[in-house]
Amino acid sequence: MGCEISTRKRTGLINPIFDCQPAGAQFAGIGIKDSIPLVHGGQGCVMFVRLLLAQHYKENFDLASTSLHEDSAVFGGRKRLEEGVMTLARRYPNLRVIPVITTCSTEVIGDDIEGSINLCNKALKEEFPDRKIYLVPVHTPSFKSSQVGGYATCLQSVIKSMCNAKVAPSGKLNVFPGWVNPGDLDLLKHYVSAIGIDATYFFDTSDFDSPIMPDKSIHTHGRTTVEDIQRASGAFGSLSLSRYESFSASTYLQSEFEVPAHNINTPYGIANTDAMLETLSDISGRPIPDSLVVERGKAIDALQDLAHMWLADKTVALYGHPDLVIGLAEFCIEVEMKPKLLLLGDDNGKYKRDPRLKALQEKVDWDMEVVCNADLWELEKRVKDPAYKLDLILGHSKGRYVSIEHGIPMVRVGFPSFDRAGLYRHPTMGYQGAVHLAENIVNTFFTHMEIKKDREWMMNVW
Amino acid sequence: MPLVLLECDKVIPEREKHVYLKVEGEDTRDYLPVANAPTIPGSLSERGCSFCGAKLVIGGVLKDTIQMIHGPIGCAYNTWHTKRYPSDGDNFQLKYVMSSDMKEGHVVFGGDKRLYEAMNDAFNEFPHIKRMIVYTTCPTALIGDDIKSTVKRVTQERADVDIFTVECPGFAGVSQSKGHHVLNIGWVNDKVGQVEPEITSEYTINVIGDYNIQGDTFMLQQYWDKLGIQVIAHFTGNAKYDDCRAMHRAKLNVVNCARSAGYIANELMKRYGIPRLDVDTWGFNYMAEAIRKICTFFGIEERGEALIAEEYAKWEGKLNWYKERLAGKKMAVWTGGPRLWHWTKAVEDDLGINVVAMSSKFGHQEDFEKIIARGRAGTFYIDDANELEFYEVLARTKPDVIFTGPRVGDLVKKLHIPYINGHGYHNGPYMGFEGFVNLARDFYNATRNPLLGLAAKDIRAPRRSAVLEAAE
Repeated sequence: MGCEISTRKRTGLINPIFDCQPAGAQFAGIGIKDSIPLVHGGQGCVMFVRLLLAQHYKENFDLASTSLHEDSAVFGGRKRLEEGVMTLARRYPNLRVIPVITTCSTEVIGDDIEGSINLCNKALKEEFPDRKIYLVPVHTPSFKSSQVGGYATCLQSVIKSMCNAKVAPSGKLNVFPGWVNPGDLDLLKHYVSAIGIDATYFFDTSDFDSPIMPDKSIHTHGRTTVEDIQRASGAFGSLSLSRYESFSASTYLQSEFEVPAHNINTPYGIANTDAMLETLSDISGRPIPDSLVVERGKAIDALQDLAHMWLADKTVALYGHPDLVIGLAEFCIEVEMKPKLLLLGDDNGKYKRDPRLKALQEKVDWDMEVVCNADLWELEKRVKDPAYKLDLILGHSKGRYVSIEHGIPMVRVGFPSFDRAGLYRHPTMGYQGAVHLAENIVNTFFTHMEIKKDREWMMNVW
Repeated sequence: MPLVLLECDKVIPEREKHVYLKVEGEDTRDYLPVANAPTIPGSLSERGCSFCGAKLVIGGVLKDTIQMIHGPIGCAYNTWHTKRYPSDGDNFQLKYVMSSDMKEGHVVFGGDKRLYEAMNDAFNEFPHIKRMIVYTTCPTALIGDDIKSTVKRVTQERADVDIFTVECPGFAGVSQSKGHHVLNIGWVNDKVGQVEPEITSEYTINVIGDYNIQGDTFMLQQYWDKLGIQVIAHFTGNAKYDDCRAMHRAKLNVVNCARSAGYIANELMKRYGIPRLDVDTWGFNYMAEAIRKICTFFGIEERGEALIAEEYAKWEGKLNWYKERLAGKKMAVWTGGPRLWHWTKAVEDDLGINVVAMSSKFGHQEDFEKIIARGRAGTFYIDDANELEFYEVLARTKPDVIFTGPRVGDLVKKLHIPYINGHGYHNGPYMGFEGFVNLARDFYNATRNPLLGLAAKDIRAPRRSAVLEAAE
């Protein structure tokens, strides 16, 4: 009994949980309005990430490559980087930000990114005296960290390079949601405005669920503007919701500009959402409105219909982004499920010291494992053993075959989710997210019972 | 002068050499678009890298082979679950990818030991799999890991395994195409001639350059079976590693995708004297022509005619039903390369569809020669087109449907244009007689979709309300 935290021992990785750093940096970089990230590396590093984002969001995002070829591998890729910046500036007249994202190849070659950016800045000033284009160096070698760290690095680099002066108080709150879906972001906005707080989101990705319009205009882009980023130093505080994706940025604003950082648990489940709303109320001095008490009550009511009847004692394996996995493990316990296996897919040494994991270790009175630097084989190997009882998999689409092959019900959650329709539209965070997820889980169980003819008559009278 | 400088390319005028507008009476020997040339950085090209050309397109299709990618996780992650090529086995090739998961320390001190361990881990975890392809990636190539010697060591230590090495980092060449070449030539050099196949027919072929997208290979296999032709190796749709080591024993190489796999056919011709026969397997006329050519080669023409008659009887009525409804529709093709010349005339002859714009990510000039020869006048033929060029060409040509990848499909949907997956298909397979009816059906369903008509309506438009009308 109890919770053990270990690390994958096998060298050879089988079925990765994460993409590499530049992927995460690219996702962060498209959250800014009028931004096209320029990835300094081979073309595949961009082409596949564009495809991956399209698979999840069913949208196209603009990302550029410096198209590194052999000559650059030998002589360095500076010229191509500079040409890339100028080409983007010339062809996209509204472009204001270019995150320059490195990859394994350009980090190994040792291209001087900061030096190139200085040269580009001069050239841009000369050719476009009336425009200001921000070039942000983002160092994300693929052989370090993962998409998670890449997201954090890009976010922090953007804040560091573009928010470089203390501005007058804006009366606004900075909100750092981490890597979430438009459905989550819309819900966060709802909570923040219900309490009466004016906020800026880093980054605002609501339009990653974007419409087809009668005039054929395209709205698929981030909404956070250059001005939003520059004014982050004037906010009355930062609400930061992802330990591994956003705490570094909010902490930077605190240490550099004395913007108080409220780095709190990711709001998955009821208790974590409560804590977030209480924090919002405390830092704004505004009460939590009755309407949110009603929303909360409806959520608990809905969960109560499900918990000890259908969810209790169900064992769960979770994998994906660390804040999601840990937060959902906490949620699982709230609805009486038993997280059995948590897979954290990169070698970040900080996971083992995560206070939420420490709290889980004290709480669980069943066998639970946390595997760091894990791959999906850690999951599959366990479920291949018939003695390993597992009732549910919570994770993204890349693990779908573990569920399919071994007949274990699975609910898709996290990035990327491309084998179930429309998941990006729904929240996982907050009260509504908790209900949506729990109902999704129970409905998945029901379908599974019906297909397997396993007590399917239970639902005749539910 | 058929080369066009598009408005969006005014600031990168070298793009003019890549955009060809076919004019009646021009000679393609004078003007071919430049192809297989470096991409302009920052142009938002569609191209991938040569590593993916080797792993994702060709090597990863083999159904009994561990895909070991020596590099950071991204290269493995991104070339896994990104293609629709099933097999008749347990779909091992779709389910698993392996990586040496290279970290900073290995970049500094070398990753050979890491690869050695990872290879052994993979064989240990999948004891029923005895074949492996090891791929290098950008960082492992840059730091100079000696992959071949690691492969040799593992091969010596494990008597029952065979391993192929592909040294094609992502920065090699200008596109996926380089990866096709490296894998093809490497395979002939290292692997062909090592396995003796069991010969069951006097008519033996290799089918080269088909990757079983949504079951294309299964579709073609029905025909070979009916004709009594034995396929020694299908390179690489639904293939086993060892099938492809026996390619030297076929009497004929039937080449579909001459871009990705023409290289291996040429080498087999040089080294083993196996003749090369290029065919098209998309389209009714083309498929019939392919069967006729192959049967003529073997002197079994009557079998071929019987098969063609049987297939026409089964499918021609359905095809014509769609043809009546699709004639005159406009189509754009934005895919890799060869599908441009495979499809343009096939859709015109079989379905009456006009292809008005085409872009190739990685075609070479010889491909464009074929594309332009088969294509219509007034059509755009673009090498390595980028996003702004797409918008401009779309506005000029106004296609009804675009055959392209899902991401570009997500883009054009905002412009109220339906797309059909030109790489992985919507509801394929698309090869063969039945397959082309599938393509016609998907095309038809895309054009008659009511949603995009609704999308154009602006509900804010001024209108007379019922209340007002009643008052009048």
